Amino acid sequence: MTRAAQGLRAWLLQRFTALYLAAFLVYAVARLLLTPPAGYDQWLAWMGQPLTGVALTLFVAALALHAWVGIRDVLIDYVHAVWLRLSLMAVVALLLLGSGLWVTRALLLAAMRAAQVGA
Amino acid sequence: MSFHMVTDKPAPKFLNLLQIRLPPGGVTSIAHRVSGVFLFFTIPFAAWLFDLSLRDTGGYRQVLDWLHTPLLRLVAALLVWSLAHHLLAGLRHLLLDVGIGVERLPARRSAQLVNFAALGFAALYLAALA
Repeated sequence: MTRAAQGLRAWLLQRFTALYLAAFLVYAVARLLLTPPAGYDQWLAWMGQPLTGVALTLFVAALALHAWVGIRDVLIDYVHAVWLRLSLMAVVALLLLGSGLWVTRALLLAAMRAAQVGA
Repeated sequence: MSFHMVTDKPAPKFLNLLQIRLPPGGVTSIAHRVSGVFLFFTIPFAAWLFDLSLRDTGGYRQVLDWLHTPLLRLVAALLVWSLAHHLLAGLRHLLLDVGIGVERLPARRSAQLVNFAALGFAALYLAALA
């Protein structure tokens, strides 16, 4: 792929992920404000639902990609020493992947706990 | 992004940040970056708090207690501003991409709207706490 095509791909990725992130955030904040969970059990039941799990996992993936493109742009603009820029990009990638996997794991465990409580 | 201006004046030797008057669009642009970087730094903490809140009743209570401390309320207010600004400025960007509001005056107005609305959301959050 040419450099221009790579840039276009990142540009498109940034916009498509932005649409999902915005829609999900508005829905999630509205729902949290309108019907806040009364306690741990309701919170667990909500997060343990299959639809919530899938939608939130998609959100995590979209957020990681979106943040990656954005932070990469910032690093390219301000960090000019190549070794430092690459090192920082590696740290950013690790942080995003680690956080994403952590949330996915928490969601899977929540789904299992919710299923046990419901049974 | 880089700007190449054709000018007779020599480049300034130093930049006096207090003398630079950024237009509203410039403020929106830099705030989009600042809020984005701040939001990025909150990601690992958010992941950790999310996991803790789902672990058991104690974890859930712990997260709520922390969220009610003055320090985290301040961080939350900053988070509300960042989210509101990043989302609104991003929507403005998408509209500009498809050719809506590109003219000078509408672009200026929408930039001002984004900047003030984001502050408004943060103020609303702080008011809701009081």
